[in-house]
Parts: sequence; structure tokens; C-alpha cells
Amino acid sequence: MNTVLSRANSLFAFSLSVMAALTFGCFVTTAFKDRRVPVDIHVSRVMLKNVDDFTGPRERSDLGFITFDLSADLQPIFDWNVKQLFLYMSAEYATKSNALNQVVLWDKIVLRGENTKLNLRDTKSKYFFFDDGNGLRANKNITLSLSWNVVPNAGILPLVAGSGHISLPFPESYEATRSY
Amino acid sequence: FRLLLCISSGKMLSMFKSIPTHMDYKGQKLAEQIFQGIILISATIGFVYGLIIEQFGWTVYIVLAGFVISCVLTLPPWPMYRQNPLSWQPVIPESSAEPIQKPQESLKKKKHK
Repeated sequence: MNTVLSRANSLFAFSLSVMAALTFGCFVTTAFKDRRVPVDIHVSRVMLKNVDDFTGPRERSDLGFITFDLSADLQPIFDWNVKQLFLYMSAEYATKSNALNQVVLWDKIVLRGENTKLNLRDTKSKYFFFDDGNGLRANKNITLSLSWNVVPNAGILPLVAGSGHISLPFPESYEATRSY
Repeated sequence: FRLLLCISSGKMLSMFKSIPTHMDYKGQKLAEQIFQGIILISATIGFVYGLIIEQFGWTVYIVLAGFVISCVLTLPPWPMYRQNPLSWQPVIPESSAEPIQKPQESLKKKKHK
């Protein structure tokens, strides 16, 4: 500690260690928090088509179009350890050829400081709802649910399922729209 | 212009190197205690404040402020760190009658530093 550089080195290393301990403390204060929030989903329109799918192994696959309403209040999730939320809405269903299918239809990133009350009306799905085959037609049970990834400042990234989902059957024939 | 810059920076470097920055041992201990105390205090204040206002950014800012205060207080060799200087042996005048003891004495002086 005789020279300025030696003192500066010692001081800087100590500060970094203290900062690391504070970051760990920040993680510990929010590690076991429950990050679920009630979510309300409502579907207004579903349309089904059978189109050429160039990305799959077969000629034509089912393509669904969903128009939905979404409302949730995400304010309780944000605390001092949350940087942003990655929300995504997915559809889950079973077909004759595949036991479990999950397709992401819509997503959004909510940063800290932005409006946390989610209130969407008549939103069209962002991504194509292609099926691996022709399993969407006359499917009795397709479940839509909203989930999110919490991106923290320090710690683990939990994947949380919102506590609200809606199940709906798809139309019997192609090009036919069904309103709810 | 570049030559002028080289000359001036060379002079500045030798000027910086010639500024005395040493502290005595008690001073070094005092400096270490001071900066550890300041950083720890600013860390606890920052942690509590960040927890209350729910923003981790403020915790970082407060610790950074503590770091800057510690830098100002402990990096330059203030007089309070030189209160207990070491008492060196008085200089023995050079005499040609003791050629054997000279290298031993220079060895001792090097160890004291």
C-alpha cells in the first residue's frame, strides 16, 4: 500500500467484491417470490384455411387465424430485481399424429417503466398458426394461455404460466370463420 | 507538433514519478480502514435505499459515490498518513578503513525499505 497504484488496486478490488455481495443480496431478496398474476383471455374470431406449406414435408397444412382480447395487470411482478418481462401467448392442442403441439401465436416485451396494464382488444395473432398436418380442422380442444419469462437484474430467469387460459374448438371446415 | 507533445509528456511523466506518494505503516493501516469503512457504509445505505425505492440502479450509484469519496480520501498521501515516520539510522560517513562492513550495511538499508 506504499504507492498510489497499490492503494488504488486494493480499493477497486474491495469495491468490486462488495458490489458482488450486494448483487447477491438483491437476488436473495426476490428469489422466492410468486410471479403469477391472473390473466383474462377472450377469443372473438377463428378462421381456418388449408394452404400450401413450403416449410413442411407435405403439400398442404392447416393454417389458423385467431383474433383475441387479452387483459392482465402485470404491476405486482415488477420489483427492484426485474429488468423486463417477455410475454408470449401459446396454443396447445393434441392431434391424431402428434400427442402434444404447442405454437406461439403472439409475444411482447414489457420493459421496466413501461405501462404494465395489458389491455388488448381484437388483436390478430402475430405468427402463423401452422399445424404439422391437417389436425386443426374440427379439433375439439385448443387451449390458449399467456406465459412470461421474467428477466432479472441478478439471478435465475423463471418461466411463469399465467393463471388464466381458454379452450375452444376449431371450425369443422376450411375457409369458414367462427365467431365467439 | 508531435515532437513537442513527446517532450512535454516525458517531462510530465517524470514530474508525476517524482511526487512522493509514500505513507508510513500506521498511515497505510489507517488508509485501509478508512476506505473499507466508507465502502461498507455506502454499501449498506445503498442496499437499503435501493430496496425501499425498488430500483437497483440507485444502489450502484451510492456505492460508486462511496468509491469516489474513498479515492479522494485515501489515494493522495495526506499528512495524516505520515504521522509516524520510521526512524532511520543516522548516515555513517564513508571511511576507507572499513571496506568489509560497507556491503553489509547497504544490504541492511535495502531490507529496511
